[in-house]
Amino acid sequence: MPSSRKRISVRHPRPLNIALIVAALAAIFVADTGTNYEVAAAVFYSVVIVTAARVLSRRELIVLCVVCIGMTVLSVLITPHGDLRAGLINTGISIAAILMTTYLIMKMEAARMAAHDAQAQLMRLSRVTSLEGLTTSIAHEVNQPLAAIVTSGNACQRWLAQTPPNLGKARQALERILSDAGRASSIIARVRSLTRGEPPDKSAFAFNEAVRDVLALSQAEIARNNIILTTTLDPDLADAVADRVQIQQVIGNLILNAIEAMIEVSAPSRTMRISSAASGSTIVFSVFDSGVGFAPEVHQHLFEAFWTTKEEGIGVGLSISRAIIESNGGQLWAESNAGGGAVFRFSVPSISQEKHP
Amino acid sequence: MTTHSTAAADEPVVYIIDDDGSVRAAIEDLLASVGLRALSFASTQAFLANTIEDIPACVVLDVRMPGQSGMDFHRQMIELGMGMPVVFITGHGDIAMGVEAMKNGAIEFLTKPFRDQSLLDAIHHGLEKDRERRKGAALVAALQARWESLSPGEQDVMRLVAQGLLNKQIAAQLELSEITVKVRRGHVMRKMQAGSLAELVRISEKLGM
Repeated sequence: MPSSRKRISVRHPRPLNIALIVAALAAIFVADTGTNYEVAAAVFYSVVIVTAARVLSRRELIVLCVVCIGMTVLSVLITPHGDLRAGLINTGISIAAILMTTYLIMKMEAARMAAHDAQAQLMRLSRVTSLEGLTTSIAHEVNQPLAAIVTSGNACQRWLAQTPPNLGKARQALERILSDAGRASSIIARVRSLTRGEPPDKSAFAFNEAVRDVLALSQAEIARNNIILTTTLDPDLADAVADRVQIQQVIGNLILNAIEAMIEVSAPSRTMRISSAASGSTIVFSVFDSGVGFAPEVHQHLFEAFWTTKEEGIGVGLSISRAIIESNGGQLWAESNAGGGAVFRFSVPSISQEKHP
Repeated sequence: MTTHSTAAADEPVVYIIDDDGSVRAAIEDLLASVGLRALSFASTQAFLANTIEDIPACVVLDVRMPGQSGMDFHRQMIELGMGMPVVFITGHGDIAMGVEAMKNGAIEFLTKPFRDQSLLDAIHHGLEKDRERRKGAALVAALQARWESLSPGEQDVMRLVAQGLLNKQIAAQLELSEITVKVRRGHVMRKMQAGSLAELVRISEKLGM
């Protein structure tokens, strides 16, 4: 394992290590040779092997093991006194201990290195993928309107180049260019808003009115995807107290999410229900969709930033929505729709809260 | 997603499949500006739900879409026997993806934003290829109809004639008189509209015999 050797030698200067090992070996050798056969001092060689395992390579460890065994045998040969039979038994035990220790420590080191490498790789991988995923997602999101702008610009040129120029079509293309440019800059704004949270500008407003405004904007998208929309807005709602624009952003985001969730189901069964209702001192807004729904294990990640099931999404929509609703004094949560699909609900404080606290 | 039933029989159509509404609208308009008819779809499922018209066509397919990706759909098209040429458009260029797309027989792999002329060239090339493909398919269909107009006895004779057997050998194999074989062989040549033996052999090759 050349890589492990290199890494460790940075922390421990090699000559010092070698000197320590040699000193320990010499001390044990002197003790082993100086004492009777009955004293199995050679067993302590295994301690040296265990200690040295961190700084030696596999091959060096085997060399050390052989040296230890050699020194044990040499000790027996030059030890002058004691019971030779006991000496031979002790030598056998010592050699067995040295061999077993070497074998076990080599296995342990290999496992430790493998675990270390796997962990390092995992960390590197997760850092790379999250960064790469984020930048690709943002690039993709901005690239879509850019591609549309370029293509519409080309189309516009072609309409103008005709004789006579088709001004109506050219104007339509220009309008698309402007709206796509607006979309591109709103994506940038959304990414920027991740890093700075603006405090909500709270005031009382008619909640259903705000919902209808957003619905008017999303009507085309809903119709284009052949979605049947039903709305049950409670006519007797008290005014909401929150940042109207921010709440509308969240409503728009939830509606878009519902539309996207239903792209995968066949057209006749695409239904969306939107409701508003009073609940105590708050207003609860709900979007029901008949889309693919979400698995229970997905539920806990739904509101995490940068977590998404959409291939091209950046996974910030729901986490930003939740942050907005919470800063407006409400809550945002998700449930499974009993008839398939999902329900996203949020609550906002209403004026009635101030009347009856 | 409107269908023009009034469209001329040979007027080609370009199917645009992209999940992004702006991109769809822009490409549709670009094609309209050069007089090409286009139908656009937000997903591959929506495209499959639509009845495919029996006219020359080309598919402009986005790679990255929620649900089924463009690359997967291209493979599915091949499995379904949909021979329409495909032009890929993708938000971020990936060489490996492009190579795979071209290997699967895509006409072109364009990175957004692309040059309009590149897209139009690819589409025209695709439509030309589809016209040829349809011509070949139509020819085989006509030959198939002629083959089916043969009686079972005549079909037996044609198979053996195409293998290069002589009348005498055919008669022996089918246990018929040589006269009967001659008469049936005459019918085969007439019904298959083959002027010579060589032509009949070529026809049987086209029919995969």
